[in-house]
Amino acid sequence: MGDAIEKSLRDIRGKRDVSFFDLYSIDQVSDTDLGLIFEIARGFRSAKTAKLTLCKGNTQVNCFFEPSTRTQASFDLSAKHLGMDTTNVGGGSSSAKKGESFIDTVETLDAYNARTLVIRSSEAGVAEIAARHVAASVLNAGDGWHEHPTQGLLDALTMLDCIQADTLAGKTVLIVGDVVHSRVFGSLVRVLIRLQATIRIAAPITLLPAEVEQFGVTLFTDVEKALVGTDFVYTLRVQEERGAKGFIPTLREYSKTFGISEWRLDLAAKDAILMHPGPVIRDIDVHSALVSRHPQSRILTQVENGMAIRKALLWLLCERFDGKTKTFERI
Amino acid sequence: MTSILIQNGRVVDPYNNLDEISDILVIDGMIAKVTPEIADESDQVIDATGLVVAPGLVDLQVHFREPGREDRETIETGSRAALKGGVTTAVAMPNSTPTADNQAVIEFILKRAAETGLINILPTGAITSGQSGSMLSEMSEIKQAGGVAVTDDGNDVQNPAILRRAMEYAKTHDMLIMSHCETDSLTDGGVMHEGWVSTQLGLPATPAISEDLAVAKNIMLAELTGARLHLLHNSTAGAVAAIKSAKARGATNITAEVSVQHFALSDEQCLGYNTDAKMYPPLRSADHVAAIVVAIKDGTIDALTTDHAPHIEPDKLLPFEHAAMGSVGLEISFAVMYSYLVEPGHISLSEGIALMSHKPAAIIRSNRGTLSEGAPADISIFDIKKTWTVDPMLLESKGKNCVFKQMKLTGKAKHVLVGGELQMQDERILR
Repeated sequence: MGDAIEKSLRDIRGKRDVSFFDLYSIDQVSDTDLGLIFEIARGFRSAKTAKLTLCKGNTQVNCFFEPSTRTQASFDLSAKHLGMDTTNVGGGSSSAKKGESFIDTVETLDAYNARTLVIRSSEAGVAEIAARHVAASVLNAGDGWHEHPTQGLLDALTMLDCIQADTLAGKTVLIVGDVVHSRVFGSLVRVLIRLQATIRIAAPITLLPAEVEQFGVTLFTDVEKALVGTDFVYTLRVQEERGAKGFIPTLREYSKTFGISEWRLDLAAKDAILMHPGPVIRDIDVHSALVSRHPQSRILTQVENGMAIRKALLWLLCERFDGKTKTFERI
Repeated sequence: MTSILIQNGRVVDPYNNLDEISDILVIDGMIAKVTPEIADESDQVIDATGLVVAPGLVDLQVHFREPGREDRETIETGSRAALKGGVTTAVAMPNSTPTADNQAVIEFILKRAAETGLINILPTGAITSGQSGSMLSEMSEIKQAGGVAVTDDGNDVQNPAILRRAMEYAKTHDMLIMSHCETDSLTDGGVMHEGWVSTQLGLPATPAISEDLAVAKNIMLAELTGARLHLLHNSTAGAVAAIKSAKARGATNITAEVSVQHFALSDEQCLGYNTDAKMYPPLRSADHVAAIVVAIKDGTIDALTTDHAPHIEPDKLLPFEHAAMGSVGLEISFAVMYSYLVEPGHISLSEGIALMSHKPAAIIRSNRGTLSEGAPADISIFDIKKTWTVDPMLLESKGKNCVFKQMKLTGKAKHVLVGGELQMQDERILR
């Protein structure tokens, strides 16, 4: 059965390659790359958890300088389904705690001849800098408040599949919540621009980064006005600590003013799609009834698409047909 | 008696309003005569044909790291870097380890400077003990020991009541206060200028208002107390607007500087998480850079400095958020001034040299920075036709963290005299 799946995936791919060797920002992904990634991801999604051999013999190191459960599990399972060996480093046991530079850490991991290095960090730019110094392909699993490109890709795939189209032209996406502290936003806004969506943001001004409108988005301080005519409602998590740091008075007031309830969702276009990158704080970002069971929610579809997107990327990066190799420089 | 004759150079001495081909005769460490065609009877002749002969540059803000962090820089390596840039007088910031908040550290720095004997080094003391912003330091003793100013550089005295007392106390002893202007609660962990670039990079950012408010606070307290106040490394449109209006009101006790990176470079240098571009004040957006250039042109700014801040490599090989702040600048400041202010036609060469010689000297009440007859013979001779590329590995400074790395600049110091002694010849330091 695995052979048949692999053959169909190879038929989808042909001899095509992506233009990048590492993925730390959506800015690296060309329009052609986007189409290719989505086509292959759809193939992997149909294959479910089938054990494949497309990346057999390759090793992946999941390097999570900042702890993560969901993203790490998704990257790890994706690699395993493709026949890769994986190991995890980071967190409390990491050498960073002993004073080692992160560049020395990733160069060491690279010397294990890992093929892919998945990096999550609480600081922006770590994956991008690491990518310059290792032979392995670096996949950014989230860097500070900057980007989370595989999340952006899975979100885009989810949206495109809802409308059965290749672009989001003519569609309006509303992003609600803590934008300034969100790497999910960083990748989402970049991919939405590429797919020609009309983008709205609704948030307290305290949770907006400087000059965010330069991305080409329209700002709203009234979520109900922002919802009118919206095709996709994308809610971002608002963390409890933001209240303590004075960005918002209380989660209670945030929920009343910006939380997405069933009633508010009805203000959006008919059958508008509700999305959230997780973890959802039920009844704060999104009312509980909307999370998993509501027909307009795609929150669990997003998770499933995440695996498919990550598998597509791993295969595209592990096996190349164009004969090109990555350049890098040791420090 | 020893004598040196500098022949046939373009002598640019803004203090004496001089910009013409002339000779300079130096006798026993002093400038004896500045006039064309002096008869050649000297011990040594320097041919300055085609070169600019200027007063040795005076830099009001450098970090020599000694005592305490000699792995980053020492008084000797810092002095060598200064000579390479034509800087003959450097004002050392007090954030050494231990902090120069007492006479003993001032005396140590002066002793090391004398032993090294390459350039003039003038130490400063801290405003508050340990630069902690709470207890005043012993400013009278710091002054008696040879400190030319007090500053908590890198920190701003956050509590306005303490800053007011510090100014009153400094005035009591006729001491200059140098303020680094920053409002900590607004900076709040910010690591670069807040704007479109920080939003694209997803980095925590510090808004211009953090500096604007602090500049306003310092100016108002200086106007209240009458203390002499020098505002370090201004970088925002709001800061220079506040300085300009204070000067227009007649606040003659307030002076202000700009560090060379802040009129030359914008926050776009941070793209790609370039930690060499991380500093405080941060490199600002283009609109602020333009306002700074206007302030230099209209005379709001009294001095150009480097804020020379050497670091070891591991302290810059970190995620941007954790990397050390600052860039080295002593070896490039003249070239940056020439390339970014004179060549584009914003100011004349004479105006640029004034901002790097007698004007900063006057702020610390030094008689250096001129080519007046009878003045100490600190003379820097520049080749303003020489275009070169900044290679950090070739810098004399121990710090290779230079935000101008790989950039092309015009203008380079060729010969440097300090106190009448030839310390650099043909870009080579003689010892």
